[in-house]
Amino acid sequence: MFLELTEEQKLIQDTARNFAKAELEPLAAKLDREDDRPAFLANLKKLAELGFMGLNVESAYGGSEAGVVAFSVAMTEIARACASTAVTVSVNNMVCEVIQAVGSTEQKETYIPRICSGQYPAGAFALTETGAGSDPAGMTTTAELHNDHWVLNGSKIFITSAPYAGVFVVWAVTDKSAPKGKGISCFLVEQGAPGLVVGKQEEKTGQHASATCELIFDNCRIPRGALMGKLNDGFRIAVAELCGGRIGIGSLGLGVGLAAMDYATRYATERVQFGQKICNFQAIQWMIADAYTELEAARLLLMQAAYRKESGKSFAKEASMAKMYATEAANRACYSAVQMLGGYGYTKDFPVERYARDARITAIYEGTNEIQRIVISREILRNFA
Amino acid sequence: MKILVCIKQVPDMESRFKLNSDGTWYDETDLAFRMNEYDEYAVEQAVQLKEQLGGEPEITVLSIGPDRVVEAMKKALAMGADRGVHIQDPKYYQKDPWQIASAIARHAASQNYDLVFTGMQSQDRGSAQVGVTVAEILGFACATTLVGFSYDNGVITAKRELEGGTKGVAKLKLPAVVTCQLGLNTPRYPTLPNIMKAKKKEIAVQPIAELLQEEELTATARMYPPARKGGGIVIEGDVKDQIEKLFGILKEKTTVLRAA
Ligand SMILES: Cc1cc2nc3c(=O)[nH]c(=O)nc-3n(C[C@H](O)[C@H](O)[C@H](O)COP(=O)(O)OP(=O)(O)OC[C@H]3O[C@@H](n4cnc5c(N)ncnc54)[C@H](O)[C@@H]3O)c2cc1C
Repeated sequence: MFLELTEEQKLIQDTARNFAKAELEPLAAKLDREDDRPAFLANLKKLAELGFMGLNVESAYGGSEAGVVAFSVAMTEIARACASTAVTVSVNNMVCEVIQAVGSTEQKETYIPRICSGQYPAGAFALTETGAGSDPAGMTTTAELHNDHWVLNGSKIFITSAPYAGVFVVWAVTDKSAPKGKGISCFLVEQGAPGLVVGKQEEKTGQHASATCELIFDNCRIPRGALMGKLNDGFRIAVAELCGGRIGIGSLGLGVGLAAMDYATRYATERVQFGQKICNFQAIQWMIADAYTELEAARLLLMQAAYRKESGKSFAKEASMAKMYATEAANRACYSAVQMLGGYGYTKDFPVERYARDARITAIYEGTNEIQRIVISREILRNFA
Repeated sequence: MKILVCIKQVPDMESRFKLNSDGTWYDETDLAFRMNEYDEYAVEQAVQLKEQLGGEPEITVLSIGPDRVVEAMKKALAMGADRGVHIQDPKYYQKDPWQIASAIARHAASQNYDLVFTGMQSQDRGSAQVGVTVAEILGFACATTLVGFSYDNGVITAKRELEGGTKGVAKLKLPAVVTCQLGLNTPRYPTLPNIMKAKKKEIAVQPIAELLQEEELTATARMYPPARKGGGIVIEGDVKDQIEKLFGILKEKTTVLRAA
């Protein structure tokens, strides 16, 4: 058993940490409060140039070939500084990986380098619909073949990066008569495709710099070659790729939880009440001990899931465990962090309220934690059947 | 052109330091290590020169220390150095700057380097002697504390930082040694693909005994933290006076006004 990062993984972690500290952290509070998309996108571009958009992508397509463990530790470092940037990087990596996994050579050569190089600020993953959230197989967006074009109709909701994504991976029903989940296909839709409309941007609780939008397909025409993978095989692709994305979101949650606890712990060593530093009170010490223990356990679960994926082993259960546990540990850490700062924790003069808002969604997106529990228990119960 | 960059790996300066059991150096367990800050400027300047010359120069990065220093060397390789020389010495901290410089010079003597970059000093020891001593032993020209560097046709124009903030300009012919100061450049972040590619670059390993046979000339008797002093400096006078004094202190004693 070997629990050390390799030298390369450590260097990647260091690079992410140094970049995040110097470039992301100074902007994070401002981006939370006011819209400054150019500044947000400028940092994404720099991250792309450093190779953070395709960590687990082959160098032939402009990726870094650094692997899944490196992806996880990089996500955590980026999220410690700016969760909005981190979620965008996570989705970009997932989009690159899905294209790499099922795209044709031409699709891979066209789109992956554009995301990896930063030519596209982002890629987007368009699965969720108003009527199909936890149950994406219930989607109603359709794609019909008209001569040499697919025509898409319907809409998606909560699509991360929609306004500035260069390409969308879109799922749509291609066989309405098929059993549920068996008639869905996956498409690559470029920004600006005729009939593709980026709709209303959600006003969210946190992660403000990352745009989350509705996407409308109004007789949206895309070339016949935009189908990705096999016809009617799209749902399986979505389920498989979401597993990898969960490692990203769990790592993101861990980063936010660590940021909150690091801030609150330092604060507790300075704040004086009853004539002594509040870190002398056992109540505070227990919050510190509990939170850091849980965050450490989360890190180990994430490392295991990442290691399993990197070595080609099954990892769906481990990724769900890690995502569920890390994001809940992060939320508890943020709750304690606000508590440790008392009233100041509830004001915008201190960053912990932002961490608490940013952490909340990590238990919801990329599959709610209830859905993670379904995945985990299903895998376990299978062995008892 | 053959370039040598000498780097040292030092503890992260934000670490909590403890003394080792015999009280002669700091305890290394639990410390996070990184490349000496001034050496990052040295690596960056060497890589910029390589780029300026169309990639022709070969950059060798050298580090003396225990096995952990390989991590700092890999960063230099990922930033653009071509090959590494690791001089293995677990007791590097018992050698004085003369001996460290002698080992470097001994290595360099057989390699025909044209230009040697080092940091101005190390963050942990701060002797600022290794670079100049290497130059002296090799008989190379030398300029220290560089805040500006340009190269044209065998001649280096070095902008140096002198005492009290004045600057000086020196011209040096190759072969030369230059030592690098904060403000010289902004070290690049190594890109992830380059970090992965650096894995394939050669790092030659050589025990220190092959380059240096003499016993340590100095010995550290004892290391101890300075006694805690109460209070700080109280700046007095009218507001304008106070601001001037404060700026003076910040300029002389800290780096806060020097960045950018
Ligand atoms: C900021 C943000 C960014 C997002 N980005 C993207 C994106 O880029 N691409 C994309 O496709 N989607 C994205 N989403 C959508 C996200 O993945 C969904 O919101 C999520 O999967 C939950 O779906 P829902 O909101 O419809 O909730 P619902 O499915 O309606 O769930 C409501 C509640 O019911 C629970 N529930 C549902 N089914 C079960 C069950 N079987 N057993 C127990 N409990 C159940 C859920 O856990 C939840 O607590 C994003 C969402 C947000 C808020």
